[in-house]
Amino acid sequence: MKEVMPAPQTEKEFVRAALNGDDEAFAELVRSHKAAVLRTAARFARNDAELDDLGQETFMRVYQSLGSYRGEAPFGHWISRITIRACYDFLRERRRHEKDVSLDALEYSVADPASGAAFSSGQARLILERGMSKLKPSERLIITLFELEDRSVREVAALTGWSETLVKVRAFRARKALKRSIGGEDDK
Amino acid sequence: MINRQKDERDDRLERLFAAARETPPDVSAVERNFETRLAARIRESRERKEPWYGWAWRLAPVFVVLTLLLGAWTLVLDPVHPADPGTALVSVAEQVALVDDLTGG
Repeated sequence: MKEVMPAPQTEKEFVRAALNGDDEAFAELVRSHKAAVLRTAARFARNDAELDDLGQETFMRVYQSLGSYRGEAPFGHWISRITIRACYDFLRERRRHEKDVSLDALEYSVADPASGAAFSSGQARLILERGMSKLKPSERLIITLFELEDRSVREVAALTGWSETLVKVRAFRARKALKRSIGGEDDK
Repeated sequence: MINRQKDERDDRLERLFAAARETPPDVSAVERNFETRLAARIRESRERKEPWYGWAWRLAPVFVVLTLLLGAWTLVLDPVHPADPGTALVSVAEQVALVDDLTGG
């Protein structure tokens, strides 16, 4: 008589089932984590096509390295690290191909609100996108994690594999570079 | 004056960050059928056959071990090694002379 395997209940069991070739178990893992992965990736992608590519690339990496997940950290943390790595590689790749990133394709109707007034979310994203396009991939990564995702130094260090001191130094430099990039060249 | 300008820039940057944080990016369009597209990509990667040279490099360790084994075997079989190049040359010359004698050359 064929032994019937019980349906996976925990993430660890889903991972084990996926490793044993259960595609539905892997799809369930993707369903549970895709929103978080895509939200992070969306900070780096410029449009939906890029976001879809980046999201798929991230989950392909998850799929390929599933065997190395030992269950010591929550599965979500493990995926976050892979997501950050994939985003960083994506930024470096994009920079290699487009030495001078042109954002002319984006529609700018960004008038700065009066001093002290609030920016709309869309306005802010466009201005930051324009400013960050001139930064190094590591600077952009750190600004995104630190300022936009509101993560702590310790979290950023854990996600990137950099030391906490390096994270602080890079965050300081990145902020300075972004200020220069957004504010023009006059405060060099 | 410069300090005030810097303060304004810091303030502007803070307002930009705050506004960008306020509403997380909308990913709903990409979320739709994401698993289906991913599953297709995984299937495609599984079906894509690796060319013969794709796995050839994996045999490199085998060749290294084979070379080491052959080297060890040669040492065991012929443990006499001249200590310096001069001796080696003399040994080769002696062998040539011996071959000449035997073949009547």
